[in-house]
Amino acid sequence: MSERFEAAIGRRVVSRTSAEELGNLGHLVVDVEQRQVTSLVVGKGRKARLVDWEQVSGFGPDAVMVADDDALHEPRDDHERAAADGKLDLIGKGVLSDMGNGLGEVSDVAFDPASGVVETLVIGEHEYPAASVLGAGSFAVVVNVPAD
Amino acid sequence: MKLLVTGSAIRGLPVVTIGGGEDVAEVRDVIYSPEAGRVVGLTLNKRGFLAGRRREVLSAETIHAIGRDAVMVDNEESLILPEDAPGEVGAPPSGRDVTGNEVLTEQGKSLGKVNDVIVLVGSNGEVVGYEIDTASGGTAYIPLPSQLAVSGSALVVPEATQDFVEADLVGLGAAVDEFRSRLGLQ
Repeated sequence: MSERFEAAIGRRVVSRTSAEELGNLGHLVVDVEQRQVTSLVVGKGRKARLVDWEQVSGFGPDAVMVADDDALHEPRDDHERAAADGKLDLIGKGVLSDMGNGLGEVSDVAFDPASGVVETLVIGEHEYPAASVLGAGSFAVVVNVPAD
Repeated sequence: MKLLVTGSAIRGLPVVTIGGGEDVAEVRDVIYSPEAGRVVGLTLNKRGFLAGRRREVLSAETIHAIGRDAVMVDNEESLILPEDAPGEVGAPPSGRDVTGNEVLTEQGKSLGKVNDVIVLVGSNGEVVGYEIDTASGGTAYIPLPSQLAVSGSALVVPEATQDFVEADLVGLGAAVDEFRSRLGLQ
């Protein structure tokens, strides 16, 4: 079963060991080269914290279970700080083909909740396989479109 | 059907890295070689409002594609200092601006004056035509094969060009292939 970013955002994040609710899922951080969800951002703004994907013990339909209360951590480097600030959020990011033509914005991302593997990007009315993504940064997501 | 864009529309486009998705610069101006009939490079501005000029340039060989919405490069190393660029990019000879040049057919008919170059979208700078201001005060588009002579004030094009004067870029996009095949170029 694949899961969608849009459906998952806002889901509560719960510690498996304490059953404490640690916050709500803000967005998911993706390593586009690896086509993998690498971390979750919990909370928003200055209170945003990250959870490494390895610390997620169950990405369920009603809650995201993480190993323990310490799974949440502050941004450790510039990359994580940019992630916490929402600069690397794929949702809403402009998309360019590698030929330099705008294709719209990323409206959703489908991924495997068990492995964190990113499957497809929803851009406008089209779905693009994650393998067609060539790069993603603060400005745009670049995809390879054979017909473009 | 070819998708075309004027040289002036390329100015201001972001330069985006394919692998990084970052906007590393924006286009300041196109460096056009009338002899080669193509854009040989781009000068650059820093990204952002009033950010000013960037010393680095882009040479056509390292441009992946000039698109409708961005100029795509592999990575930031594609931006090179003028002294490291080919001469025609790093230090283009003066008098290469074709703007204002009169377009004359081989038989001596004036079609108008060059206003802009027309670049093939998705290429790394192939120029397929010119936007011209006609004698009657209108704007028209003519396809370009590889013109026969450039003097700095006028350029001479094949006689057949006058059969392919188009009112808009869509018309030119459709006419380029037919024009070139008539000339035996494709």
